[in-house]
Amino acid sequence: MTAPRPWNLIAELTYRCPLRCPYCSNPVGHADVRDALDADAWGRVFRAAAELGTVHVGLTGGEPSVRRDLETIVAHAAEAGLYTHLVTAGVPLDATRLAALHDAGLRSVQLSVQDARAERSDAVAGATSFERKRAIARASRELGLALTLNVVLHRHNLDHLDEILSLGRTWGADRLELAHAQYDGWALLNRDALLPSAEQVEVARRRVAEARRSGDGPEILHVLPDYFADRPKPCMGGWGQRLLLVAPDGTALPCHAAAGLPGLEFWNVTERDLRACWQDAPGMNAFRGEAWMREPCRSCPERERDFGGCRCQAFRLTGDASVADPACALSPHHDRVVTARERATTPPALRYRGAPSAAI
Amino acid sequence: MSEGLEAFEARLRRVGAERYHHLHPFNVRMHAGALSPEEIRTWVRNRYYYQTRIPRKDASILAKAPDAAFRRAWIQRIHDHDGDPDQEGGLELWLRLAEAVGLDRGPVERLDGVLPGVRRACDAYVDFVEQHDLLEAVAASLTELFAGELMAGRIEAFEKHYPWVESEGLSYFRTRTRLAPRDAAFGLRFVVEHARDFETQQRCVEALERKCEILWSLLDAVEQAHRAPRIASHVQLRGDPEQPEKWLAVLPERAVRVNEAGHEILELCDGERSAEALMATLRARHPGVERLSEDVCDFLDNMARIGVVSWSDPER
Repeated sequence: MTAPRPWNLIAELTYRCPLRCPYCSNPVGHADVRDALDADAWGRVFRAAAELGTVHVGLTGGEPSVRRDLETIVAHAAEAGLYTHLVTAGVPLDATRLAALHDAGLRSVQLSVQDARAERSDAVAGATSFERKRAIARASRELGLALTLNVVLHRHNLDHLDEILSLGRTWGADRLELAHAQYDGWALLNRDALLPSAEQVEVARRRVAEARRSGDGPEILHVLPDYFADRPKPCMGGWGQRLLLVAPDGTALPCHAAAGLPGLEFWNVTERDLRACWQDAPGMNAFRGEAWMREPCRSCPERERDFGGCRCQAFRLTGDASVADPACALSPHHDRVVTARERATTPPALRYRGAPSAAI
Repeated sequence: MSEGLEAFEARLRRVGAERYHHLHPFNVRMHAGALSPEEIRTWVRNRYYYQTRIPRKDASILAKAPDAAFRRAWIQRIHDHDGDPDQEGGLELWLRLAEAVGLDRGPVERLDGVLPGVRRACDAYVDFVEQHDLLEAVAASLTELFAGELMAGRIEAFEKHYPWVESEGLSYFRTRTRLAPRDAAFGLRFVVEHARDFETQQRCVEALERKCEILWSLLDAVEQAHRAPRIASHVQLRGDPEQPEKWLAVLPERAVRVNEAGHEILELCDGERSAEALMATLRARHPGVERLSEDVCDFLDNMARIGVVSWSDPER
């Protein structure tokens, strides 16, 4: 079997980050992972990915700009012919450094904002950062970089959606990505505090539809929360199908959370070449295609659209990564999502990433 | 409940004051003397397509009209436009204008290279009239209320700013300054008499608004032809090892496959060359290719919508 083409490479350059968002998608044990790849090692990964047919590289983390060698890493990616996209919180980046990254071949910036106003955004981020983000947005426009604003949505900012939409316009974003928190990692730890009410979700959906109709302003990508849908998301476009992620320790994964699934063997780019890591690693093939599926997925006509949903969510909620994603109403475990959704009426306090006691 | 007749007429006139194409940047530049001869020619050549649709639109209105007196009056518009043995019509006068601005009559008359956006706008007008009732169709024609003044200003602007256009070429505008008010008065009387309740009046206002949009988008298309497309600064245009005959235009989280012809177009998008000039270059390279302008415009519109291409600001 020829392996599919990994159109998109996610390069997690580090887990280090000055922000402490309580829904961070990094593993809860991120603090123990060191950055195993230097700039040249990343360069080898990029060239190998280009040979596999990769078109996009997302340089992310953690916060990629904490790496002092980011300019060299960007240059390696551009030289490999990849479309270079930086996913950043805007700190400790600044306009001068962004210009240097642009010179090195950077084309696109995705800037995270936690809320539409400084005090609220900084509160969720757990760090003063909003004005720095504004400066990065301006610098991105001036440099001619594509600018995507990314806001993770949850109970505490969903009612500010109008302000968030307006921020997308005033900051001149090309695209505004409104993605509900995915309840894994830190977000699962904080799920009961983050889950919005069904009413909040519905109001937001209508607001986004209105904003899209009005036509002016950025293109809006609205990722609906699967806890409120009847069907799971087509996670990553299918396990090991389109997306290849290399974690800070060099492990090649089908998504940012897959390393947390027990019993799966993934390979590391410091030990084997990227092609083998992508095509042959047992973990990468564990849920590729449809052979692993059980009922109700196996005979479901929608399996070609949603691929059975998210393996990590299936494991977190049921202890078994090979069952249907419980976000699906057809899953025998769907009640676990329903219960969480109903419990969201009385949310507890948030636990911030980084505080070691929170990682229990 | 109906709106007072005066209030209704005032609403119709306000549509013109706020949305008629006299406010369109291209028209503003035309009347300020800021258009290049090429821009004037593009406008004249394309606007001829609109002229050719007008008698068809009027025939469609005639076909809806149950009343002989109405038809007797309205049929005059077709004669005015198509001409008769005693008098040259509006179509002929527009072709004279085309010659006066330096265009060959033949290609204009054959509608060669009419911009697809112009075609769409004009066809949308004929479709609108066909698909709506007589009252709304007549209401849509009420842009004539605002045409007389526009034509007067246009004659003045051409005489002052574009002396290279022979005065005789302006006969169309002169004729319209006379006929438009007559036609508009008839149409207005008909609409005011027949739109008796608020809901019907509202439909008439909306029909007129729709017509203003159509005229506006016609000028949008003409204006765009003189803007220069460029590949957006962050877009990467690259080959694809898996499909050597295809190209990829890469954007954030998206890649668009482009064939050889598309790639040839994109390579000409340098931010300097106008869409008109780009099409002329391609026509010269590929003589005899049918619908070339249409395909190029549609391709550029698509690419602009996706964000691969951006448009320069209009000159000056």
